[in-house]
Amino acid sequence: MKQILVIVVLLFSVLINAQNKDAFLEANDFYNNGEYQEAIARYEAILNTQTHSPELYFNLANSYYKLNQIAASIYFYERALQLSPDDIDILNNYSFAQNMTIDAIEELPEIGFTRVLKTLVNTFTVDSWAKLSVCCVILFVILFLSYYFSFSTSKKRASFVLSFITLILAIVFLSFAFQKHAINKKNNPAIVFAQESDVKSDPNLKSETAFQLHEGTKVQVLETYNDSWTKIKIANGKNGWINSKDIRLLNDF
Amino acid sequence: MKALTYISIVLFTTISSFSSAQVTFEAKVSKQKLGVNERLRVDFEMNKDGDNFNPPSFESFTVVGGPSQSISNSWINGVKSFSKTYSYFLAPKKRGNFTIGQATIEIDGETFKTLPVTVTVTAAVDKPKDPNDPDYIVNQNIHLVAEVSKTNPYLNEAITVVYKLFVSENTGVSNWRELDIPRYNDFWSQNIDIKGIKIQNGTYKGEDYRYVVLRKTVLYPQKSGLLEIEPLTLDITVDVPTNRRDIFGGRLMQSVHRTVAAGKRTINVKPLPEAGKPINFSGAVGDFDFNVTTSKTTLRATEALEAKVQVSGNGNLKLFKLPVLTLPSALEVYEPEHNEKISVSLRGMSGQSSDAYTIVPSYQGKYPIPSITFSYFSLKEKRYKTLSSGELVVDVTEGPVNNNSQAVSSTKQNILSTGSQFASFKTKTNFLNTKRTTFFNSLSFWMLLLVPFLAIPVAVILRRKQEMRRGDTVGNRIRTGNKLARKYLREAKKTLGSKESFYNALERALHNYLKSKLNIETSDFSKEKIQELLQTKSAKDAAISQFIELLTNCEMARYAPFSNVEMEQDYNKASNVISLIDRQIK
Repeated sequence: MKQILVIVVLLFSVLINAQNKDAFLEANDFYNNGEYQEAIARYEAILNTQTHSPELYFNLANSYYKLNQIAASIYFYERALQLSPDDIDILNNYSFAQNMTIDAIEELPEIGFTRVLKTLVNTFTVDSWAKLSVCCVILFVILFLSYYFSFSTSKKRASFVLSFITLILAIVFLSFAFQKHAINKKNNPAIVFAQESDVKSDPNLKSETAFQLHEGTKVQVLETYNDSWTKIKIANGKNGWINSKDIRLLNDF
Repeated sequence: MKALTYISIVLFTTISSFSSAQVTFEAKVSKQKLGVNERLRVDFEMNKDGDNFNPPSFESFTVVGGPSQSISNSWINGVKSFSKTYSYFLAPKKRGNFTIGQATIEIDGETFKTLPVTVTVTAAVDKPKDPNDPDYIVNQNIHLVAEVSKTNPYLNEAITVVYKLFVSENTGVSNWRELDIPRYNDFWSQNIDIKGIKIQNGTYKGEDYRYVVLRKTVLYPQKSGLLEIEPLTLDITVDVPTNRRDIFGGRLMQSVHRTVAAGKRTINVKPLPEAGKPINFSGAVGDFDFNVTTSKTTLRATEALEAKVQVSGNGNLKLFKLPVLTLPSALEVYEPEHNEKISVSLRGMSGQSSDAYTIVPSYQGKYPIPSITFSYFSLKEKRYKTLSSGELVVDVTEGPVNNNSQAVSSTKQNILSTGSQFASFKTKTNFLNTKRTTFFNSLSFWMLLLVPFLAIPVAVILRRKQEMRRGDTVGNRIRTGNKLARKYLREAKKTLGSKESFYNALERALHNYLKSKLNIETSDFSKEKIQELLQTKSAKDAAISQFIELLTNCEMARYAPFSNVEMEQDYNKASNVISLIDRQIK
């Protein structure tokens, strides 16, 4: 019974996948004919089937860019970059979309050791670090056993040293995985969708306006209050409360 | 000639009839209001001579002088004008409102009456006014008036103040000098230049005057509440007639310097309503048009572009700031150049005020100029209005790509330096499920991470065992024998049916079994030896004999035919015997 269920589900998913492929091609045709609104409707329909891909986000963002909808275009470029962070086309078009944004926020530079560590940790995803650490552990075991079983002193020495190194590497990679996991947990970016939004110093309308943000600016979400106010932080380190309706979370699939 | 006389007769009769129709007979008083200790002059004036003049009874007055008669005839441009006046000088008896009754006269057989005149007699005046005193004349005949167009304007609504100098017909002003120019605190003010002084006729408090406009000022109140307009003070030189006459009988005029001041005016400025006040309201009041234009919409990078924010119309154009253009941060924008073309008239300021921004895009792409709004208070509709400029998009078609986009982390920036075109859509894709399963922290991850460590003790233990086995050679042989016996027995089972190979395998299985159990070499496989050895190992005789029988069967099989059934029997027997002996021997 269970097997039948699994098979049915699998078949169903394959069917949906095929449908989505067709919809994707159809949407691309609309895009190519300049009917961006139609293309957007098709792309979004694909998204609604709980499937995505960097290319889908990229095309969707391009369509929004063509329609001069800054926030939506930035939003989907960011999504595309989440899935495929090194794609040249995405980075290129993303910079085009960024030209359209109004806010210029100077990024707070990170200094010294933390910067080095962060860039190092950010080179791979959590899963990659996890896989690397697993590989290192396996390598360590093999090398350790070869040390244990080999007879010649030179071989024994070499394999012992190597196994020791791989063990250390495994630990380092594992800690990187945890570090990256922690960073990911803290990283909750959002895009400002409102054309202009006041960032308040307290989560109510009466409080002072700390600064203003415009459409398309990326912010970090820190916490929420009553669901209607969100505490955000911008790249230069300033923070404040913004109306939750004015922003859209990037991690919200 | 005859015709001419007729015409002249007709003309004459019409004129005379016309003039007879225009008989006027009226009463004039020198002042409507006087102190009880002052005097009043009443003139009854007619333009045609009459008879039987009957003055009214001046009940409340005592007649101090008069009646005096005066007649004047004048010919101007051939037109004769005649006037006859009866004058009385009266002194009031008490305070109150008194009516001077009607006087009657008969002109050409008809009786004419004057209208009654009402005069107010007030309390005694400190100093009875001498009608010939220059001070008195100035006070009575020269007025400086500030006319304010609106006394309760809105904040920032234009009002005008016009200073007029009224001079009555019988006095003259030969010169004036402004002593104190009013400063309009709490107002934005601008004087409107007056080119040349024009004498105009007008009325002041119902009387005929000549006047000149001295000064026109447009004011924009900058504060709500009661505001004062400071008076304008003039030093004027007045020519006042004196009682002296020159040799021709004309009155001698005397020049007198007088200081006159326009009264203080108070204006009640209404604040703009708070209800519905837009957030971006910057104080513009009037009637405006607003637009944002760019000099071009497509251009190449490093070319300059001008964006103009312009407000035009009527209102306090100089008194508010234009809305600021917010532009994408990627554009290089210079300080805006402010331009005003504003003319100020009595209706206020009108014209246009604009800010021109010079923009130089350095990278290609599309740049939106977001819609900006301009709010003002409309005086016509008494409410706030908000105008919005549409969103404009500037398309920069050629030029380098901005490659230091801030959101891309520093390690990835250099990738972008090659691309210079907006990349087209992607044609192929592989869809993934949005519900991501992460490997990290999953069960399989921890298993894969930790299980390999278990391999170390397992391997060590295996190694130990192996070494121990390698240590005893006898045990080794037994094990290999046993292994081989089992192997050949399996082979025998497989070949059940083909006689040759079956018995071959069976024989080898039995031999190997013996090798392992009895520790004998293949060389001495005599049945006697086997029996002896098995016995010493305390195997039962029955088992031994079966074993031997099997061995002989194997030998026999090479020469005699065996059926399948026998073969199967033998196989079963062999496995039984082996297990039997296994159990029996020690």
